[in-house]
Amino acid sequence: MNTERSAPQSGAPGARRPAGLLHRANAFLVSPKLAIALLVIVLACCIVGVTVVRGARAGALIFGTLWFNALLVLLAVSSFTAFFSRIWKRKLTLVSAGMILFHLCFAALLGGIVYNQLFYFRGVLRLTEGETLANGEVESYDSVEHGRFFDFGRLRGATTLVRMHRNYEADGGNKRAAYEIAVGDAIPRRRSVIYVTEYLDHDGVRYFCSKEGYSVLLILSEKGGREIYGAHVPLQSYRQPDGSYRYASGTSTGEVVFDFPRPPERPLVGVQMSFRPSTIKDRDGEIAFRTWTPGTAAPPAPAAHGASPDPFGAHEDPLTPPPEDHGGAANPHGAAPPPGREGRVIVGAPFDAGDHTLTPREIRYWVGMDVRYDPGLTVILSSLCFGLAGMVVTFVGRIRQGSARRRRMGGGGPRAPAAPGTREEIA
Amino acid sequence: MRTEQVLFWIAVALYGVSTFAYIFGVIARAEKLLAAGLVAAAAGFFPHVASIAVRWVAQGVNPFITISESLTLGVGVSVLLYLLLQLGTDKVRMLGVLVMPIAFVLIGWGGTLRTGPSSQLAPSLQSAWLWVHIVGASTGFSAVFIAAGIGLLFLMKERGQGALYDKLPDPRTLDELSYRFVVGGFTLYGVMIVSGAFWADQVKGIFWNWDPVEVWSLVSWLTYGIYLHLRITFGWRGRRLAIYSLVAMVAMIVSYWGIPFSVETFHQGFRIEH
Repeated sequence: MNTERSAPQSGAPGARRPAGLLHRANAFLVSPKLAIALLVIVLACCIVGVTVVRGARAGALIFGTLWFNALLVLLAVSSFTAFFSRIWKRKLTLVSAGMILFHLCFAALLGGIVYNQLFYFRGVLRLTEGETLANGEVESYDSVEHGRFFDFGRLRGATTLVRMHRNYEADGGNKRAAYEIAVGDAIPRRRSVIYVTEYLDHDGVRYFCSKEGYSVLLILSEKGGREIYGAHVPLQSYRQPDGSYRYASGTSTGEVVFDFPRPPERPLVGVQMSFRPSTIKDRDGEIAFRTWTPGTAAPPAPAAHGASPDPFGAHEDPLTPPPEDHGGAANPHGAAPPPGREGRVIVGAPFDAGDHTLTPREIRYWVGMDVRYDPGLTVILSSLCFGLAGMVVTFVGRIRQGSARRRRMGGGGPRAPAAPGTREEIA
Repeated sequence: MRTEQVLFWIAVALYGVSTFAYIFGVIARAEKLLAAGLVAAAAGFFPHVASIAVRWVAQGVNPFITISESLTLGVGVSVLLYLLLQLGTDKVRMLGVLVMPIAFVLIGWGGTLRTGPSSQLAPSLQSAWLWVHIVGASTGFSAVFIAAGIGLLFLMKERGQGALYDKLPDPRTLDELSYRFVVGGFTLYGVMIVSGAFWADQVKGIFWNWDPVEVWSLVSWLTYGIYLHLRITFGWRGRRLAIYSLVAMVAMIVSYWGIPFSVETFHQGFRIEH
């Protein structure tokens, strides 16, 4: 199209529109009024997001929305263009150098965030001690989020939880919980101990401590003693009203009963169990069982945070706050209380479940790790640092400017401030 | 009562004396009362610092974690900055009329929230970033607090007449001084936000989570960002900015201590649950 070329010849005012539009768009973007208006709008949104609506609702209605993120993008573009259109070809001073650095970093920060959003990966990997899961399979994760262009090929090899250490000491402090993990595809795999302030970075993928809990190795035997099935049953921790914790089979929403063996095996016994850790020895304690025959109605499960019918009740010595659902199978049966057996045994002792015997063979820990891949993180964090450096340079420049003025004035007060937008003021 | 508590409450009492001396000094236009206010503030500062030191020694870990401890530190740094400014010039003695009442109220509030010493630092707080974060937050707050005080002096200078007001620097100097403290506070608050982002990334792998405290920090920071833009880009000066700095300081106090105290947040009690 040659609309712009023909416009001067024809003299038609409408033909100038594309250039006029561009000019207007540029004028709109470089306007300091737009930058300040956007700052005020973002500020107002933030205030609403922590007062009128809060928490997850604020995320859903404001901070996680497209329009809010578009506002942030527009703010970054506007302040970048507004600043550089004003500073362009001006004398470079310490103050202006600091401001340039700050505004450049603001734009770089935005670029880093956008890039990260396209390629990031976040997953929750739950492992019991001794367990290994493939990193590149979605099924390995309890939950997964990733950017549009994330390639699962980045998650190579496997991850093993070697051991969970309680009251782990490092750097002169008690880190409470530390996970000894082995990661990667090479032999031997990379081994490391991670704790709350120490993560493992392997091939750009980072592994963070998140949550941990108890897992019971439950063995099902025939009356004659022949072992027929065994599985680790991770327990959920439930915070009680008095602040203590109760560890039981269930999900984050409440305690549940489950069929044992687990599907797809044919269930032989319905089980609900809770664990009271020993205060003397780690990985030891008592297990309380309630069992019933599969196909009959299951006993009612106690509420997650309510009074517990468990013979142990709640106890102190919390390991973790309640983690997310870790896959305990909820029983679909009705709520009428059936005939069943209940009782408690110490770890390692058998429990008579009628036609079968259940033995809590050992206690292990399970952990939930946050697995993250953030390719834009270096740019983001570097931008923050350099942006801050820009602010410091500007601050130092202002101080030096003030001192120089005072010297010029012979020690007197500062002279009249420069008019807005003048060279001196910008510098 | 423990030594630490005795020292703390002596400091509160002296700040109270300083507060009343400043308020009545301004009302009665009595310079001697202002001098008494300054002496009381300086006298209160020593037991204040001593109470922090005694607590630190007693618990073995840094005493800047709980809200009460954070208030104690924030007020301490503000009073220190105020006293240093007084050492530099006696022209802004009236600054105490804003600084000391607020310091008194905040530290008194902190006193009601005091808990016994804790011997262990939560694992998530055992990070070098904690120090950068704390220093940035307390000095940043103190700087904008002083800026607001100078803003108030500007307004008083504009309206008041008499020897007390004549002694104040001219409005332009006050305006410039207030601006410099805002720039310093804005930068230091930036240090707090950036170090917080690094710290959160170290612990959670997320540098920003739109947590209420994070958002309120951003609100405070943006508020001062707008201040700077209004001054630099739009040429605002004097009265309007003086009022703005006073209003912005309220936002700062709310974000610094009000929010962690009132809503469920990642920073609850400055202890990160894990």
